[in-house]
Amino acid sequence: MDHRPFEDWLHDNPTLSTDQKRQLNAHLRTCTSCTALAEVKLALETVSLAAPAAGFTDRFTVRLAARKKALKRRNFWGFVILALSVLGLLGLISWPVLKDLIQSPVNLLASWFASLASFFTSFQAIFRAGMVLFKVVPGFIPTYIWLVVLFAAGGWSLMWVVSLMKFTKIPQGV
Amino acid sequence: MTDETTWIIQAQQGDEDAFTLLVETYQKPVFNLCYRMLGEPEAAEDASQETFLKVYQNLARYDRERPFATWLLSIAAHHCIDRLRRKRFSSISIDEDEEGQMDIPDRFAPDPESEMLKQQQGEKLHHCLQSLDPIDRAAVVLRYWQDCSELEIAQTLKLTVPAVKSRLHRARLALAGLWDEQPAHLRTERKPYGSPAF
Repeated sequence: MDHRPFEDWLHDNPTLSTDQKRQLNAHLRTCTSCTALAEVKLALETVSLAAPAAGFTDRFTVRLAARKKALKRRNFWGFVILALSVLGLLGLISWPVLKDLIQSPVNLLASWFASLASFFTSFQAIFRAGMVLFKVVPGFIPTYIWLVVLFAAGGWSLMWVVSLMKFTKIPQGV
Repeated sequence: MTDETTWIIQAQQGDEDAFTLLVETYQKPVFNLCYRMLGEPEAAEDASQETFLKVYQNLARYDRERPFATWLLSIAAHHCIDRLRRKRFSSISIDEDEEGQMDIPDRFAPDPESEMLKQQQGEKLHHCLQSLDPIDRAAVVLRYWQDCSELEIAQTLKLTVPAVKSRLHRARLALAGLWDEQPAHLRTERKPYGSPAF
């Protein structure tokens, strides 16, 4: 059976003339599939909303409070696990030093102090040598060399600043 | 500024009472969508509660340029579609429990006979809906129960408008096919009106 144009009329809801309505009625009397379609359309156009049981908002408030509590608990235990993991990792990394410290703390502290003292002495010696050079060397270098060095340093600084501005330009509105 | 916009702004700033007002306003459309999608009142209650929880958690991301109802129903529809997919994967059948059906209140009850007929039709339609593909089902519910336009359905379900039209067309044909397979006591007499649409 040919369902056109009746099926299209049922789907698209056009305004039908009296003659078209009569044709549609005649077709619906003989066609079960189009009748089913018409019944479905009628049922769909007269549906009503299903409502939840009374107290929906109160139940939601209770659920929200429970969810927040659970989230808080999860965050707390998450933090505890993270803190313990970090401590464990730090312990694992520093285990060789910790082992020495536990076994012979005096020896380890003595070696640390000795290293610190040796570093300090070396630094002092280098500083003294530097001061001597600082006092002696300027006397050997002519003034024009100083001027060249000064201009070169200025030029390099300027180039550095310009290139930095050019390459680090950030687009606006991002 | 409408009441709804005020509530949304207040809720975005952490006001729980304002959010409760939004729940109060939208509980019925959200529950109805979930009920038509999932077929069971208990599942619908749980899904609608979860929808509102999701909305609460993601409210900061809500774009006020977009209609709130569309955004809310979109979350509800996708939640139900995910739930149906999970259910299908875990091979749990959707058995209809007649006693567990919700009472569908109707404010306009002219006479008991037509009221009963309407209720029968509603039940029959509810049965048929459960056989549709979840996205087609969501499109039908949004179109006929929530009165959404095809554009709104497209935005809600993240589809194109032609896809929505095609899905609605296909769904109506599928429902008509299922309509004939329903038991005789659920069949309705067609009145000599011509077509129901006119």
